[in-house]
Amino acid sequence: MAARAETEQIPAWQRGKVASWLVTVDHKRIGILYLGTCGVFFALAGVMALLLRTQLAQADADVLTKDTYNEVLTMHGTAMVFLVVVPVLAGLGNFLVPLMIGAADMAFPRLNALSYWLFLFAGLVLLLSFTASGGAARSGWTSYPPLSVHSGGNGQDLWILALHILTISSMAGAINFVVTVHNMRARGMTWMRLPLFVWSVYIYAWLLILVLPTLSAGLTMLLLDRQGWTHFFDPAEGGSAVLYQHAFWFFGHPEVYIMVLPAFGIISEVLPVFSRKPIFGYKVIAFSTIAIAFVSMLVWAHHMFTVGMPDYLNGFFMISSMLVAIPTGVKIFNWLATLWRGNLIFDTPMLFALGFLSIFTVGGLSGIYLAAFPIDWQVHDTYFVVAHFHYVLFGGSVFAIMAGLFYWWPKFFGRMLDERLGKITFVLMFVGFNLTFFPQHLLGLAGMPRRIYTYGEDGLWEGYNLTSTIGSYVMGLGLLVFLYAIVKSRHGRRAGNDPWQADTLEWYTTSPPPPHNFDSVPYVTSARPLYDLRRRLKEAGAL
Amino acid sequence: MTPAVGTRLVSAGALVALLANAAPALAGNGGFAPVPPESPNAHDITWTWWFVSIFIAIIFVLVEGLLILFVIRYRRGKRARDADGPQVHGSTRLETMWTVAPVVILAAIGVAVFSQLPGLRDVPSASAAGEKLEVTVEGRQYYWQYVYPNGVIAADRLRAPLGVPVELTVVAPETDVIHSWWIPALGGKIDAIPGVVNSTWFQAERTGIFRGQCAELCGLAHANMLAEVEVLPVDEFEAWLAEQEAAQAAGNSDLGEEVYTAACSTCHGLEGQGGVALAAPRLAGSALVADAAAVEQIVRNGRNQMPAVGGGWSEQEMDAVTDYLAQELAGGSQG
Repeated sequence: MAARAETEQIPAWQRGKVASWLVTVDHKRIGILYLGTCGVFFALAGVMALLLRTQLAQADADVLTKDTYNEVLTMHGTAMVFLVVVPVLAGLGNFLVPLMIGAADMAFPRLNALSYWLFLFAGLVLLLSFTASGGAARSGWTSYPPLSVHSGGNGQDLWILALHILTISSMAGAINFVVTVHNMRARGMTWMRLPLFVWSVYIYAWLLILVLPTLSAGLTMLLLDRQGWTHFFDPAEGGSAVLYQHAFWFFGHPEVYIMVLPAFGIISEVLPVFSRKPIFGYKVIAFSTIAIAFVSMLVWAHHMFTVGMPDYLNGFFMISSMLVAIPTGVKIFNWLATLWRGNLIFDTPMLFALGFLSIFTVGGLSGIYLAAFPIDWQVHDTYFVVAHFHYVLFGGSVFAIMAGLFYWWPKFFGRMLDERLGKITFVLMFVGFNLTFFPQHLLGLAGMPRRIYTYGEDGLWEGYNLTSTIGSYVMGLGLLVFLYAIVKSRHGRRAGNDPWQADTLEWYTTSPPPPHNFDSVPYVTSARPLYDLRRRLKEAGAL
Repeated sequence: MTPAVGTRLVSAGALVALLANAAPALAGNGGFAPVPPESPNAHDITWTWWFVSIFIAIIFVLVEGLLILFVIRYRRGKRARDADGPQVHGSTRLETMWTVAPVVILAAIGVAVFSQLPGLRDVPSASAAGEKLEVTVEGRQYYWQYVYPNGVIAADRLRAPLGVPVELTVVAPETDVIHSWWIPALGGKIDAIPGVVNSTWFQAERTGIFRGQCAELCGLAHANMLAEVEVLPVDEFEAWLAEQEAAQAAGNSDLGEEVYTAACSTCHGLEGQGGVALAAPRLAGSALVADAAAVEQIVRNGRNQMPAVGGGWSEQEMDAVTDYLAQELAGGSQG
C-alpha cells in the first residue's frame, strides 16, 4: 500500500508529533501550518486595530499617541496584507488545489515547505521589529519616501527585509501553483472543467509572478537610499519622491486583486453548493477573473491622483479603473443569478458568502467615487478610503475566507465546526463590520484624514468615531466566538467524506485525506465531477 | 428578563445611538456628501459627487434588493437539503446585458467628469472683486508657511480676500517630506512634494474661517499639522497685507510669535514648557534660546528628532523667531 510505503521511508526521528510537522513536505500539512500561522498573525494585527480604534474612540485621547500610533498603524496594515490575507489564501490554495485537481501533492513539495518557512521567518522579522532601535517602521504600510528614508532607527530596514523575504516566499509559492495546475490535473479535467477556486488561485499566482519584481525593485531602491549612497527618491540630488509611488502601486494595486480573486473563487464554490445549482455562467466567471487581473495592472496611478499628474493621465487612470468595475459587476450578477430559483441552505458558509456579496458590492460602488478623480481629490487619504478598502478586503476577502474555513474545515480536520456558534460568529461579525466601517465613509467626507492619532472636539467626528470603535469590539467578540468554535470542533460531529453534498474532487476522498490524497480519482466529465457521479449512482438506483 | 424585553432594550439603545449621531449630523450634511462647498471648484466636485451618487444608489438598491428578495423567495423552507434547483448553466443574453449596462453607466460618469474639468482646473485671472492673488504654500514638518507676492510671510493661517481668485503654488522644501494641502470647503487636496511644484486655487464665497489639515502622513505630529484659511473682505485683507509688509520690514511684526506657535509649539509647547512631544526639551528659561546664533544653527539643520523647521527661512523670518525666543522665553517666563 502506498500509505505504508510512505511511512516506512521516513526516519524514526521525523515521526514525532512536533518533528513530523517541522520536516513535512505534505501540501495539506503545509496548508494547515499556513492557516495556523496566519491565525496567530491575524489575532495580533487585530489587537493592533483595536488599539487604534480605542485611541480614536474619543477626541484628544492618549491611549496611543504620535510615534507609537504610527508604528501600530504601519504594522497593522503591513501585517494584515502580507502576513494574513495573502498567505491565508496561499494556505487554502496549498491544502485545496492538489485535492481539487485530483493530484497527490504540489509539483515541488520541498519548495512548498521552503515558501512556508520563509513566510514564518519574515513574519517574525516584521513583528519583532517593534524591539528594534527606534521602534518599528512608522511610515504607513505604503512607506512613502522621503518620510521612510528620513525615518530613524532600524524598524524601517527590518520592514524592508521582511517584505523582501516574503517576496521570495510568495514567488516560489506562485511558481509552484502555476506548475501544479498546468501539469497535475486529473484525467479529463480540461481548463473549462477546472474548479473556479483553482482558476482563481492560478490567476492569483500569475499576478504575483508579474508584479512582485516591481515591489522588490522599489524596496531595494528604498533600502539603498536609506543605507547606501544612492538618491533615487531624493529630489535634492536629482531623484524623485514620486518614482517610489509608481513602483509601489504598480505592485500595490494588483496586490488588492491578489487578495480578492481567490476570495471570489471561494464564493464561486460555496454559492452553487448551498443553492443546489451549477454556477451561473462558468466561462464568464473564469474569463472575468483573467480580465480583472489584466486590467488591474493598468490602474495603479489612481492611488496618486493628488500628486499633480496632468489631466490626460488622470483621465487614463480613471477610465482604466472604471473598466475593472465591468468584469467585477458581471461576477456579482452571475452570483446573484446562481441564487435565482435555487434551494438556498443557510449554513454558516452560505451566510458568510451572502454577507460577502452584500458588503463587497458596497466596496465596489465606493470605488467608483474614488475612480472619478475630482471626487478623489476630496476623499483621497481620508477615512472614506479606509472604509472603502476595508469593505473590499475585510468585508470582501476576510468574509469569503470565513466562508471557506467553515466550508472546508470538515475536509481539513474531519470534524464539523459548530453550526450554532458559526451563526453567532456571522451575526456579530456582520453587524460589527458595518457598524465599524460604514461611519468611516461619512467621517472621510466630513474631512477626517486617515493616519491621524488624534482629533479635536467636533460632534460629528466624535459620534461616528465612537460608533466605529463600538463596532470594532463587536467584531472582536465575533472572532472570539469563532475561536471557541475552533476549540470545540476537536470534539465536533464527524464529517464523513462529503458533508455538504458538494461538487468538486476534494470531497471524493476521506476527511481528512490520507497522505497520498486519493486511492483512485474518477475520470472528470465536467466542472462538477461529484455531481456527475451522484447523478450516475442515482440513475443506477444505488443512491 | 424575557428575550422580547431584551430585544426591545437593544433596539431602544440602537435608536438612542442613532439619534445621538443624527443631532450633530443635521448641522451640515452629516457626512453624506463632501463638506458644504464655499468655492466654485468645490461646488464642481460636490456636483460630480451627487451625479455619481444617482447611479450608485440605483445599483446598490438593485443588487441588495435582488439579494434580499432571492434569500427570502428561494430559501429551502420545507424542501429536502439535497433537492436540486433547476440546472441552469447560464444565459448569454442576460450576461451580455449586464456587461453592457455598466459600460453605459461608466461612460456617462466619465463624460460628466470631463465636462466638469475646465471649471475645476482653470483659474479665473480676475473676478468682479479683483485681480487674481498668487500665494506660495509650503508644507513643512509640521506647519504650513505662506509667502505673499509682496514678500509677507505667514504660518498656518492663510488670510485671503473674499471673492478674489487665489492661486496657490504648493511646494515642500527638498529636505522635507510629502504633505497634502486640503481645505475641504475650498476644494480638493493637492500634495506638497519635495522637488515638485503643484498648484490649486479657490475663490471663497463668504468670509470666515475654513479649516483643514495635512492629509498625507508626514511623521509623528502629522495629526497636529492643521491649516486654516481666514477669508476677509477685500479692503480689510489689503489693509492687513500692507500693515504686515511694513511691520515685517521694520522687524516689529508678530511673525516671531506666529511662526513659534506653528512650527515650535507642537513639540515644545506654547509656553516653551517642553515635553509636549518626543521629549522635546524645555525652552522657557533655557540659556540657549537667548543665543540667536545657536538657535539658528539648530532650527536650520535640525537636531536628533527635531526636523529642520527653519531650513530656508529668510533672515527676516529667522530674526523674528530668535527675537521672540529671546524676549519671551529666555529667562523671562520662569514658573
